[in-house]
Parts: sequence; structure tokens; C-alpha cells
Amino acid sequence: MNFKALVILFLVALFAWYLSFLATRLDRLHHRVETSWANLDGLLQRRAAIAIEIARSEIADPASSLLLTFAAHQAREASVKDRSQAETGLTGALGILLETSETMHGAIEQDLLRELSELNEKIKVAISLHVESVNRTILIRSKWTIRTFRLAGRAPLPVTYEFEADVL
Amino acid sequence: MTFERKRIGIVCPYGWDTPGGVQAHIADLATYLISQGHYVSVLAPTSDEENLPDYVVSAGKPISIPYNGAVARILFGPIAFARVRNWIAQGDFDLLHLHEPAIPSIALLACFAAEGPLVGTFHASAKRQKAIFAIGPILEPVIEKLTARIAVSEAARETLTEHLETDAVVVPNGIYARRLALGAMNEQWSGNSIGFIGRFQEPRKGLMVLVDALPAIIKEVPDVRIVVAGPGDSDEFLQGVPSHLRTRFTFLGRISEEEKADFLHSIGVYVAPNTGGESFGIILAEALAAGAAVVASDIPAFQALLGNGKYGELFTSEDSASLAGSISQLLKDGQRRNQLKIDGKIYAQYFDWDEVATRIYDVYEMAMVGLGKVTLSSENRGWNKFLGK
Repeated sequence: MNFKALVILFLVALFAWYLSFLATRLDRLHHRVETSWANLDGLLQRRAAIAIEIARSEIADPASSLLLTFAAHQAREASVKDRSQAETGLTGALGILLETSETMHGAIEQDLLRELSELNEKIKVAISLHVESVNRTILIRSKWTIRTFRLAGRAPLPVTYEFEADVL
Repeated sequence: MTFERKRIGIVCPYGWDTPGGVQAHIADLATYLISQGHYVSVLAPTSDEENLPDYVVSAGKPISIPYNGAVARILFGPIAFARVRNWIAQGDFDLLHLHEPAIPSIALLACFAAEGPLVGTFHASAKRQKAIFAIGPILEPVIEKLTARIAVSEAARETLTEHLETDAVVVPNGIYARRLALGAMNEQWSGNSIGFIGRFQEPRKGLMVLVDALPAIIKEVPDVRIVVAGPGDSDEFLQGVPSHLRTRFTFLGRISEEEKADFLHSIGVYVAPNTGGESFGIILAEALAAGAAVVASDIPAFQALLGNGKYGELFTSEDSASLAGSISQLLKDGQRRNQLKIDGKIYAQYFDWDEVATRIYDVYEMAMVGLGKVTLSSENRGWNKFLGK
């Protein structure tokens, strides 16, 4: 009788440990989603700022300048849900501009373009990190143990982004 | 942009004293980061505590274990784990870079013990194995802790997605492309010569495929020779070669980096008949950088590296007739050979360390944002107290 009780106690303790392990794991993932998003958001904001600067510089002709300014403002003002689409639009606009603009600019323009291409590399990495952490979190949250014991608490389910044009 | 000096810890899973792709990669990366002004410490298993570079810290003697079709010199166990924890606790690192964390060695232990900005690099590519279903649940929560993952090639990335359902950023292996491009012509090796570098006795390096192809090549190109560089017992190897072909072989043994550049620059064609187990093909990239015309087997890694035949000839893997055809054709067509040499040299600049290390550092930067320093994982602390540490 006593032995049985001990075994049950041990199993309960083991299960409790497993739950706390899962909760830590999930907490770490939630934290990561937040930091990776904050990072990506910052980079995207910087890109929008550079895009506006490029639109005002001599790199862009009036038509692409208009297109670029519009896309950049849309990306900045987009709600969380529309963000990915708006950013993809900006990527497209920048892509068109960079493809057509050859090396015919002064030092300031060169600097802008270089900064943009460096930023683009970082954005690609940041997107892949963010998408990965979101996917991972959603995957872990679908575990039955996590759903049954509400280990996710009140943390909202992370939003999946698409970023079609920026994927590595 | 203001420069920040970072403290970076790199963990090497394989014995430091045995030559290998991962070790070479880490040594080059560490040297580069140090030259950029960062503090770097590399934790690696070593059998010889002396003659180590300053930046290497020994984690103990490696154990030889058959793993994934080769003998791996790795290290694990409670003592190694304690050393890993010590190294992390004392290192005060801004970031840990773990190599091959899915292999049962100290990189996996470090990933288990640490918390904070962790970057993992996956080198190996392997076919889907049943065993992974059994070890998946153990590995997953550990691998999940990596803030960012790097795969050295598309093949390695696919392995990762298939086995562990996680994605990675592809950053190729680095080579000293600029230095290799300076190779000088050496008459000794030039002409109708076929070059090969590597441990020629290992079956998966595929030198035997070339031996089988040789009679057919001789018919087309009578004065063909084979020059082999790399460690191994040449007498033992020649025993397996038909006696009338033996005189065609020259063995150089191990060669220095400068000799390598000259060698690759001088030879007629470079051949890589590997039958598999290759994830990136660093020697092939080096051959291209030094301006060699390349013939390689059509395994996925080489196909990807050679742009599906754009930067070198591909032949059907393990098919000596196909290899003989490709080599004799290339040896007879000087124009095509020159074109390959020029294109390959330009293309291989992409793999130069300057380029590659910048991309790796980009990943580091992304991983470090908002995470603070590397600490010992809090979820282990309770355990260790419980175990009476």
C-alpha cells in the first residue's frame, strides 16, 4: 500500500516536472518570437526610411519615386495583419528600382544603395529567424499536453508572416 | 556604425588534432574573427594538449566511434559535460557558435547547458534514417534552443528540414579564394595531367572509379598522368591498381597551402569522383578558385556547387565509363577548358572568407539582438542540485 502510494507520488512528480519543462520551453519560444519580431520590425522600419530617402534622391525618376514613396508609407502604416503584404510590395518596388539603376550616381547615392543592400541581407536573416520561431511556437502549442494544461497562458498565438519576395 | 568587441565561444565536436572539414572551417573562422578584433575561444576535444593555438581550450581526449559511415572522433560523458559547463560559466560569452549540434558530442552538450544567443552550424548531409525517429524527441528540445541555424549547403539544409523539421540560413563554407588565385604554373604538374587531393584510400572519395576509367582515357589521351596529393599509404593503394597502370601515378603526400595553389593552377583537370557523403565539397571550391578545370561526380552537393555543370563537368556517380568520357573530352578541348578555368575562378570568389565571414557575422548580430549574454541554462540548475553537484 505504502509502496504503491510512493510510486504514484513519483509519477505525479515526474509528470509535474515534465509540465514545468514544457512550460519553460514554450516560454523561451514566446520570448524568442517577441525579440525576433522586434528586431525584424526595426530593420523593416529602417528600410522604409531608406526607401523614402532614395525616393527623394537622384537615383529615382519621378515615376519610381512616386511608387517608392507610396510603397514605403504603406509598409510603415500597415496593420500587423497586412504588414507582410505591404513589405513585399516595398521589396518589389525597390527591386525594380535597383535593377534599372546602373552605376551612374554620386557618392551619397552610392552610400544609400550600399546601406540598402547591407540591410537587405540582414532582413533576409531576420525573416528566416522570425518565421522559424513562429512556426516552432505554433508547432509546440499544438501539443495536447500544452493545450490541456493551458501552459501557453494568455500569450496570443503568434501571427504567421509570408514575406514572399524576401525569402532566402 | 560603431564597432563592438564581442566575446565569442565556438564549440568543435570533433578531435582538433585530426584533419577534417569542420575543424578547418572553425580554425579559419576563429582566425578571421580574431583578426577583426573579437575575443574567440574554441572548445574542442584534443588528444595532445600541447601545440594548440592560443584560442583552443581542451575539453578532454576524444573517443573514436563509428558514426554515419565513418569513424568520428567525438567526446561526451559527465566529465566532458562538467568541462563544457565550466567553460561556458567562465567564458562570459556574448554568443556561442555550436558546430554539428545534432551529433552526440560536446556541441550538443553545450547546447543543452547554455541559454542565450546560440548559433548552430550544420555541416553534414545524410539520407533520411529510421534512427532519427527514435532520437528526434531527445534532440528536438535541445536543437530548438538555437537562436539561429546555419547550413553550409542546400544539401545540409534539406537534411535538417527532413530530420528535425527546422529551417536554416545557408552560408557556404569559406575558402581563401584570393590567396588560391595567386597560384603559379609548375611544369612538373602541367600538361595532360589529372589532379586529385584528399585521403585517397577512403572508398567514398572515389579514386578507384578513376582507376577503372583509366584504360579508356589512355586510349583517347595516351600521355595522361595522375597526380595525387593528400595523406595515405601510396604503396598499399597501388596494390589494388592493375600493374600496367601503376607508372601513371605520382603521389605527393601532404602539400602546403602554397603548393596547393600551384598544384591546382597547373594540372590539366581536377577530378572529384566522390561517391557520396559530401555536403559541400570544399576542395572543389578551392580547385575552382585556383583556376582548375573540374570534373566531378553528380552527387547533389557537387551539382549545387558547380551550378548544374555551368562551372565544371559532371559525370554519373560511380560510372567509370561516364567519367572516362568527360575527362578525355575535356583534356582534348582546350577552349572549353580555358572557359571553365576563367568562369570558375570568378565564381569561386563568392566563397572567399571575407564574404562568408561577413555573412556569418550578420547571423551572429541577428542572434544577439535582445538576448543578453550566454548563461548556464536555468532549467538545468534544479537538476544539478538534485544530483548533488
